[in-house]
Amino acid sequence: MNSTIQAWLKTGSYAVRAVCFVHIIHTYVYEFTETRGESMLPTLAASNDYVHAFKKYKDGKNCKMGDCIVAVKPSDPDHRVCKRITGMPGDVILVDPSMGTQLDRLPSDVDEIDEDENFNTYIKVPKGHVWVTGDNLSHSLDSRTYNSLPMGLIRGKIVAANDFNQPFWSGSKGNFWGFRKIGNSFVNED
Amino acid sequence: MPSQKAFRYSLITLTWIPVIMTINDNVCHVAKIEGSSMRPTLNANERSISSDWVFLWKFNCKKAFNLNRDDIILFKSPMDPNKVYCKRIKGIQYDSVKTRHPYPRSVVNIPRNHVWVEGDNVFHSVDSNNFGSLSTGLVVGKAIKVIWPPSRWGADLQLSTGRQNILTTRE
Repeated sequence: MNSTIQAWLKTGSYAVRAVCFVHIIHTYVYEFTETRGESMLPTLAASNDYVHAFKKYKDGKNCKMGDCIVAVKPSDPDHRVCKRITGMPGDVILVDPSMGTQLDRLPSDVDEIDEDENFNTYIKVPKGHVWVTGDNLSHSLDSRTYNSLPMGLIRGKIVAANDFNQPFWSGSKGNFWGFRKIGNSFVNED
Repeated sequence: MPSQKAFRYSLITLTWIPVIMTINDNVCHVAKIEGSSMRPTLNANERSISSDWVFLWKFNCKKAFNLNRDDIILFKSPMDPNKVYCKRIKGIQYDSVKTRHPYPRSVVNIPRNHVWVEGDNVFHSVDSNNFGSLSTGLVVGKAIKVIWPPSRWGADLQLSTGRQNILTTRE
């Protein structure tokens, strides 16, 4: 009887230590996780795509313009979003010429949208914040709705992705499960 | 063999470190309070060299329903993610709050899953009047009790000082 309890305790302690170890690795080093949603098309598919994220870029450390990041959603801490950084602290952003900003507008004001105003709504990204948008601008909930994102909410940078709809080995492309790197997409036109 | 035994024990100790880190990150922790922005509630004595240490409850502290008015919270500064600030919650989600000088508007509506934080020492505090309402995702933990120095045991943290009656009706 006594030995059974001991065996259970031992298994339990191994399980606790293993789970905590994985949790710490996921928080501070590396995470492999599923993404969903249309907002990052065509970089990431709407379903069945898995991404590799490095956590040393936590809190926006060394993050640059054009990097793909995972962050906690400012309007809901239970959800995480995957977006691309399109503005660094101090940058002046033209919010969205196609629909303007909804940041300080009530839903009832929709009729009064002035098209010219949309081309004149600029925001300066404050210190310690970044401007994030999805790659699929027409179907993305991002900084255009919830304003610039505090760097403290950034959880990591996405460096690569796998697509499990692809075969394990696709010889012609020479990759596993549609493995592809996700790099910085920023092109400086100056 | 004693050296083999020592190796075994140090290995076992090593495997418990992630467990302690997980508990400190997600359940409870202690934190040192620096600066004067929460005077007179924390770091009450101006002369004293020692700072207050508080017990921090972290479990589920990012959930909006666990954050109430007059709670003292620690959070990552929105202006600089490497800094942690300690302030008192003055308004919760959907509240309307009268602001102070640096803030550009006189009344602000707090969005979903955001809080309005201010220091008790109103005039020496960098708070929501500087950086706006705070996303609950930035909250690190809730200060429950002062645990060090012993002379400060039993200090009442719920005692609300600072600006009063700043809630208003929605604009």
